[in-house]
Amino acid sequence: MNFKIAVIQFPAANCDLDAIHVLNDVINVKADLVWHNHFKESKYDGVILPGGFAFGDYLRAGIIAAHSPAIDEAKIMLKDGRPVIGICNGFQILTEAQFLPGALLRNESLKFVCKWVNLKVENNKTACTNKMNEGDVLAIPIAHGEGRYYTDNLEELEKNNQIVFRYSTEQGDLTKNANPNGSLDNIAGVCNLEQNCIGLMPHPERASEAILSPKRTEHGKLFFESIVEFITRRLS
Amino acid sequence: MTKVNVNGKEVDVEMINEEYEKVKDLLNRDPNITELGMFDVMWSEHCSYKSSRPKLKLFEDAEENYDYVLAGPGQDAGVIDIGDGYALAFRIESHNHPSAIEPYHGAATGIGGIIRDILCMGVRPIALLDPLRFGRLKDNSHSQWLFKYVVKGIADYGNCTGIPTIGGEVEFDDSFENNCLVNVACIGLGTIDDFKHAPSRAYNPGDYVILMGGSTGRDGIHGVTFASRTLTEMSEADRPAVQIGDPFTKKMIIESTLEAIKTGYVRGLKDLGGGGLTCATSELTGDGNTGADVDLRKVFTREPGMNSYEIMLSESQERMAFIVKPEGLGTVLDVFKKYEMAFAVIGRTNDSKVLKVFDNENLVVNIPSKALSESPTFRREEKRPDYLDHLLSQQTPILTLGLDEIIYKLIASENICSKEWVYRQYDHEVGVRSVVKCGEGDSGVLRIIGTDKFISASVGVNSKHCFLDPYQGAKGGLVEVCGNVIANGAKPMAMVNCCNFGNPEIPESFWYFSKAVDGMNDFCRKLRIPIVGGNVSFYNEDEVTKTAIKATPEIMIVGIIKGKENIITLPFKNSGDDIFLIGETKAELGGSEYHSVIYDIEGGTPPAVNEDKIEITWDFLFELYNRNLVNANHDVNKGGLVITIAEMCLKNKLGVILDFSDCYEKELRDDEFLFSESVGRFIIETNPKDRDLIFDLAAKFKINIKRIGILSENPEITISGLKSKQLKLDIDKMKQLYDSTIPSLMET
Repeated sequence: MNFKIAVIQFPAANCDLDAIHVLNDVINVKADLVWHNHFKESKYDGVILPGGFAFGDYLRAGIIAAHSPAIDEAKIMLKDGRPVIGICNGFQILTEAQFLPGALLRNESLKFVCKWVNLKVENNKTACTNKMNEGDVLAIPIAHGEGRYYTDNLEELEKNNQIVFRYSTEQGDLTKNANPNGSLDNIAGVCNLEQNCIGLMPHPERASEAILSPKRTEHGKLFFESIVEFITRRLS
Repeated sequence: MTKVNVNGKEVDVEMINEEYEKVKDLLNRDPNITELGMFDVMWSEHCSYKSSRPKLKLFEDAEENYDYVLAGPGQDAGVIDIGDGYALAFRIESHNHPSAIEPYHGAATGIGGIIRDILCMGVRPIALLDPLRFGRLKDNSHSQWLFKYVVKGIADYGNCTGIPTIGGEVEFDDSFENNCLVNVACIGLGTIDDFKHAPSRAYNPGDYVILMGGSTGRDGIHGVTFASRTLTEMSEADRPAVQIGDPFTKKMIIESTLEAIKTGYVRGLKDLGGGGLTCATSELTGDGNTGADVDLRKVFTREPGMNSYEIMLSESQERMAFIVKPEGLGTVLDVFKKYEMAFAVIGRTNDSKVLKVFDNENLVVNIPSKALSESPTFRREEKRPDYLDHLLSQQTPILTLGLDEIIYKLIASENICSKEWVYRQYDHEVGVRSVVKCGEGDSGVLRIIGTDKFISASVGVNSKHCFLDPYQGAKGGLVEVCGNVIANGAKPMAMVNCCNFGNPEIPESFWYFSKAVDGMNDFCRKLRIPIVGGNVSFYNEDEVTKTAIKATPEIMIVGIIKGKENIITLPFKNSGDDIFLIGETKAELGGSEYHSVIYDIEGGTPPAVNEDKIEITWDFLFELYNRNLVNANHDVNKGGLVITIAEMCLKNKLGVILDFSDCYEKELRDDEFLFSESVGRFIIETNPKDRDLIFDLAAKFKINIKRIGILSENPEITISGLKSKQLKLDIDKMKQLYDSTIPSLMET
């Protein structure tokens, strides 16, 4: 099937090439790196806002990027059901742009933290989890200083099935120790009501090849394969 | 300080009278104030290496002697050809003085500087490593403050630029209390074509000179002269000499520079670091055998009213100078515009071999391009310190603690315990190259995407050993750092160093430098490791406490692993496997952690290096690797044998049953055998079915190898065969001690 995904290059996005690598070289789909001011939604079937420090995270993580013209383009994609995915800094941008509910606050430790964590899949109907099972536990690393998820509307999110991933133990238990940043209710990723827009703090592009994973898993691949599956279904 | 007369006014300069006379000779007249400032900066110790250059001549021939060395000492970074069309650039340098005064920005701009050095070789920076040294943390809030903010400075800067920090080391010792050491290393990867495209020279007359990046402000003026002095109580007043970093702009500089190089129109490239615009313009034209006319009023400044002196000497961060072919000017400027980077075409090169700087119509600088690099050198006196005889003869006190208590104390000590508190704050995985991550091996291992080759890199040296014997200590540092990459399966390819020493005008301090350089040179020639770059930081002394730092010739090694099956990691893996000790243990407790932690003494006999034995040990290990016989490997390092074994147990919580009967010479005491830091030893894990083969190979290589134990499921280390009673150590307790030391000191 002929389709194309855009990875947006915001100034000082720094996981942009990593996402391109996984899409092009690991799961063999067409993906372009597109400078944020040059992005035109009409050419693409899905968009990924990668991790990094867009605009240096100056002022507040994601806030300046949320006002990029790329976000206006992405909004069109959001409305017509194409996948709009934010990883780490991309998640921060999506909450600042109000594509997704809630906010990402400074980690409870007040320090940047880079480590492998376990993620429990809470909703496998979304554009990036449809190849997973509910309750699956994925090994995927985090690397962020502002990843503590917070919302005033936890009940509503739960009711609408908008919580996609939670930090858990390897066995899938949602303990305090398994929560690396103090996120509300161990939340690691959420989606919009339509489930085509997902944001998560962990980095699936760093967990898509066995050689990079401490336990030689490739759980991140499922994330990107789900996006492909979602686009394929949408186009057929 | 010297007082000189400029246009009837008396001004203070750092240079001595003899140097001032030479400036006048080179110009055939008196310099004006701007020119004088430029000479003063470029002839500072930091820029000119005037004390170290005579000695460093020893390192100069790497490019001649090794066909895979593409750039050697004297360039912004060392570069080697690693096959498949790839070039690897790497360098290490110091940012000690700024970090001691302002740890956060000092460390951050150190990272910024080393990234630019790699970038101006035309390749993408892909990894950082940071060796750090502070005073002891316990009960010392100043050391804790420096440590906390240096780590945060590195993390905030490195993480934002998207370059993973994959390794480093931290040592705590009283001698670094007020003059901490912040060394920064960077690795860059690109094609050989990328490297060849962008030399740091302006060799073609008629090219444009472009300044790109951050604006030029009044910060950092005379930063290098500040770094060429001893820190004093007055140094607090030098805080304006510390630059402020901007990692966001740096990231944009990286991307726009790499894209500009790809256009093919960039003919030369130089970063603005120490010495700012003065250093960049004079080195580009001087090394390129050209001249240039530069218009200062084109330089975009941070504030109005900056005079020519300030603009030429500013060390504001995040700036690059490009030499661009005339026909490509528009194309290159379009790249900068895409990234919304500020730029200015500030001049053009010509064939005059003279650097002329104009302030509007006024000619404010008119000096031969090469004159600024023709600083005088000084032969410094060297003298072995008198106190060494006393230190070297120090004896280990009588044991008052049980060996098990000592081991628990050692594993919890600041220099041995886990540094996870540090590396969790660094993004060590961005770039999807990190294969052996922090805490999993003795070195950091990166893949080269699209090949089956891997880069292994490590930094280190033992300052306590160097303090007692800089010649053997420098060699021991090389054995250790090469051992780190070898333990992960890599062949050491090349070395760069960062020499941190005291005041070179003091003969005892210069002696340390001189002996350490001899040690590095002798070892590297013997083991055929090219030295492809170095940096010297003198004046690391603290006038407040009248102490010099312990000599620290920091060493960085890069190695290559071919084939992912040949990557070896540190943790023990399978219960039932054999444990072997390779190499000889001698009564070398001088400068050991055992002496320092248990008795608070620094003396004794430090480890000495036998290059012949080191060489066969390495050959033997590669023979084992070729036959896929090694399941885990760790070089024996700080704390000695049992600590090394314990570190291998912690990750997978495996235990070991050790039997040291017949493992060591009768004249050695138990504590000497257990805690000696003799260099060149390794602990390996192997499958018992290969035991005979390993002994056969060891006999063939004439290598000293002992089977010392077997791995078990039971999480404890039991030790028999000692002269004293059997020992039993609990892995959970060790892990708890190992993990909690730094958090408990830093998080309260």
